Amino acid sequence: MLIDRQEVMRMARLARLELSDREIDQYQKDLTSFLSSGQKLQQVDVSAVEGTSHAVAMTHELRKDAVGESLPQAEILSAAPEAMDGFFKVPRIVEEQE
Amino acid sequence: MRRLAHLLETRQISSTEVVEHYLAEISKQEPVLNAFITVDAEGALAQAKASDRRRREGQALSPWDGIPIAVKDNISTKGLKTTCASRFLANYVPLFDAEVVSRLKDVGLSIIGKTNLDEFAMGSSTEYSAYGVTCNPHDHERVSGGSSGGSAAAVAAGEVPWSLGTDTGGSIRQPASFCGVVGLKPTYGWVSRYGVVALAPSLDHVGPLARTVEDAALLFSLIAGPDPKDATSSDAREFSIPDWDESFVKGLKIGVPEEFFGEGISPEVEGAVRDCLNALEGWGAELVPISLATNEYAIDTYLTLVTAEASSSLARYDGVRYGVRIPAEDSNTMFARSRSAGFGAEVKRRIMLGTYVLSARQYGAYYEQAQKVRTLIRQDVLEAFKQVDVIITPTTPSTAFRIGAKQSPLEMYLSDLFTAMANLCGIPALNVPCGRDSRGLPLGMQIMGGHFQEELLFRVARLVENHVGVEGEVFSDKL
Amino acid sequence: MTSYDTVIGLEIHVALMTESKFLCSCKTTFGAPPNSQCCPVCLGLPGTLPLINEKAVEYATKAGLALNCQIHFFSRFDRKNYFYPDLPKAFQITQDAFPLCTDGFLEYYMDEQLVRTAITRIHLEEEAGKLIHSGPTIVDSEYSLVDYNRAGIPLIEIVTAPDIHTPRQARLFLEQLRLLMNYIGVSDTKMEEGSLRCDANISLKPAGSSVLGTKVEIKNLNSFRALEKALEYEERRQSKLLDRGEAIRQESRTWDERAGRTITMRSKGDAPDYRIFPEPDLPPLNLDPAWVSLIKVSVPELPLERLKRLEEEYGLSRYEATFLVNYRDFGDLFFELAEIGLEHKSIVNFLMGDYARLAREHGHMAAKRLAELLQLQAEGRISQNQAKAVLEELFSCRLSAREIVEKKGLEVVGDPAALQPVVAEVLDGNRELAARYKNGETKLLGFFVGQVMRATQGKADPETVSQLLRDELAD
Ligand SMILES: [Zn+2]
Repeated sequence: MLIDRQEVMRMARLARLELSDREIDQYQKDLTSFLSSGQKLQQVDVSAVEGTSHAVAMTHELRKDAVGESLPQAEILSAAPEAMDGFFKVPRIVEEQE
Repeated sequence: MRRLAHLLETRQISSTEVVEHYLAEISKQEPVLNAFITVDAEGALAQAKASDRRRREGQALSPWDGIPIAVKDNISTKGLKTTCASRFLANYVPLFDAEVVSRLKDVGLSIIGKTNLDEFAMGSSTEYSAYGVTCNPHDHERVSGGSSGGSAAAVAAGEVPWSLGTDTGGSIRQPASFCGVVGLKPTYGWVSRYGVVALAPSLDHVGPLARTVEDAALLFSLIAGPDPKDATSSDAREFSIPDWDESFVKGLKIGVPEEFFGEGISPEVEGAVRDCLNALEGWGAELVPISLATNEYAIDTYLTLVTAEASSSLARYDGVRYGVRIPAEDSNTMFARSRSAGFGAEVKRRIMLGTYVLSARQYGAYYEQAQKVRTLIRQDVLEAFKQVDVIITPTTPSTAFRIGAKQSPLEMYLSDLFTAMANLCGIPALNVPCGRDSRGLPLGMQIMGGHFQEELLFRVARLVENHVGVEGEVFSDKL
Repeated sequence: MTSYDTVIGLEIHVALMTESKFLCSCKTTFGAPPNSQCCPVCLGLPGTLPLINEKAVEYATKAGLALNCQIHFFSRFDRKNYFYPDLPKAFQITQDAFPLCTDGFLEYYMDEQLVRTAITRIHLEEEAGKLIHSGPTIVDSEYSLVDYNRAGIPLIEIVTAPDIHTPRQARLFLEQLRLLMNYIGVSDTKMEEGSLRCDANISLKPAGSSVLGTKVEIKNLNSFRALEKALEYEERRQSKLLDRGEAIRQESRTWDERAGRTITMRSKGDAPDYRIFPEPDLPPLNLDPAWVSLIKVSVPELPLERLKRLEEEYGLSRYEATFLVNYRDFGDLFFELAEIGLEHKSIVNFLMGDYARLAREHGHMAAKRLAELLQLQAEGRISQNQAKAVLEELFSCRLSAREIVEKKGLEVVGDPAALQPVVAEVLDGNRELAARYKNGETKLLGFFVGQVMRATQGKADPETVSQLLRDELAD
């Protein structure tokens, strides 16, 4: 396997996914097969080029600093799974443990 | 659509009748087809009534006022559920319209419903939808393609006259090919992405699906143009429907890339495309054999970039502001549980891949490398367009496959083999039907052009359409 | 005990004073009701796209120019991915590989010595939302509340090179940086409202060594005092550990104001993997060199330039000049008064004295109004004490200085002819003392002056009175 189980679990933690053992096995296999198929990409000589983020040339029009409308608080909170006193509410925040 | 518009204009038919006709088709076919996630019958009828009133008062918003349309369910519609075929957004109702939806509403189109897709547009068959697969109207045992399978199937089945889809690696063209409709992935930046739920922003496109080339061109003209809300939208350009003069074909240089023909391609697909190429040659076009060798890397490059961008674009689904929340002791656990409960297997798989290729240790080898290979592919394609005006290939290596036939993810990813290149380069590419195979399944041909060459693509497609003919004309009985 | 060299680098976040947010058009007003200045974009709703505020780019460029940076016409935005309840998109739009500004410096005085701290880079990024914890601290809170009003306000992050050597220098640097930001008008730099925030990196190495020690990051330094105290604490803590031969752990610590110490937040070994990559929703930034030149022209006189000018052209002391630089409004007033033609030293004495006290209470006064008062004093028409009384009046009524003087009859009597009878009267009533003066006890002159002043209720001009007395007693 090109990628070990520990690494798969690290990715899951980074991506905030809670995976079952079966899923971890599955994704370990999938990642490995993806990476081996992707090997040929590694062989391509790219020394002469820069990376492309956008395929079409474009100019960046900046926005003028003008205040527009915000949404009412009730609308902002309308889809909140949990809200309180005009705030979104979340459970205890703990520092990332890796 | 011109005929329908004429019927509406001359009041031989009302918008209400049109909408009722399509709603009836939907009720009849949906139990089997499953092209829609949400049908907004009430909303569409209300819009139809309003349109009829406008017509009566001579206040029609456009010739297309009152014609219904279906929109893929990853395009935001204010007040109408937009689920992205995900459990995570099962109850998500946008607070705003996507720019393309506003434009449709501005000309009086009524949104009849939201079509099925692979969850967050990740897939090539709609089998990855949380709301069930969309069958192929031509064979219910087969897939409609994806991810815009619902949009393609609904048009092909006559549930709706036209629809909008999105295309990140082939998601408009491949289902259009499988279902036998016209579908365009436009030039990157010509159609606003504002309000279109992101899969991979540098590769995502919005485009039209329709039964005829002219309808597709017409729908494209309604949605194309600069949008100040999208920083990646291109500068002031409008699109108008061509006059369909056919003389342009004399001397037209058509590139035929060897890598897209031969081994691995179904002979029937290849045969149909060759037949159309011969017809075009007969009308005066010149067929130029070319090579697009970098297509060998297109799928891997595409997968690396799409999974990377997707892992980031989908991070916002954390259960704080909207969507699924599975309660937990602390926020991190809450995030992980909510996401794991809300996302399907393919979405998780791509997020895992994307997280991996972006991770500090792998970034250079994967993401950065893929961005550079993208440059090489782009150079290769733009170089080809110095010699030829358009490039023609099959849209897919084969016709619609059986539901459940593709077991491994990689097998599924190969569905984008001929289409991903256009997304990587931001060039326009279109599927036009070019006949049926021996099982009666539609065959599709892909026409690619240089940036902003949509008009040329439509012109060529129209010739192909004339050659193979269009099926089924709704409302012809009214004439 | 070994002696150590301290190496400090700072990372400063400055909120830019734009009207609307960095990536959407919501307001940036501080203190609004929670989640009332939000829209689909800053809430990160699906399908929304960012749009860069031109003013934010302008302000960041201005800050870069004021800090002598190289402005990069090409810069790029990136996504920094991490999950946190205050981060709506679960990534922050920032500039990583291609920042807007690099390679600058700030010069400032430390103990008469002009010192320079190098600025490594300045980049633009978006602010996160605000969290309110149910308990006294984040760790012992059962839940937290999120307000996204602040989410998306433009920030610049200014990163210094690790070439600050003492906690006091770090404080001086930050004070000067804050002053600079005020001068160029890009931020209100209110540390208490979080519009200026500082993190510090500190490491110790044996004196003279060229090998850097393990660095510790201190976060959440919300005041100048906290910065200095935390660094002093950390210097002591690290040197003790090193003295005992223990290793310094690379980690993030936070300053506990109440306990007066730093405490571990997380160890650096588990530094999050931010998976930074170019922001696909935003094209790169390509600045027009002509636009940058226009911004350059708009950079006003900076604190150090003003200090030099006050010393060299106006002959002020370092102390006086520093006052006028640190209190920019006083400096501006000084220049206006000097322009009117008043004597520089007396203006600064006046501004730093009674005026400062009253202005802090009532706000500034128009230069013209003040100038009249200073003019009266300079001409000797009123005494210093009278001037103080008039000043107080000026703050509380609409009359001009001249009108107040007239109304109260405060004007100094400087006419010898008018004062002669009073002088004669005083000498007449103190013959014995006058005789002693004439016998050489000249220090009695002060007594006679005082008597004349008293007799005239302080209106007499002391200079004239002295002269008259000397003349009389010389006979
Ligand atoms: Zn906003």
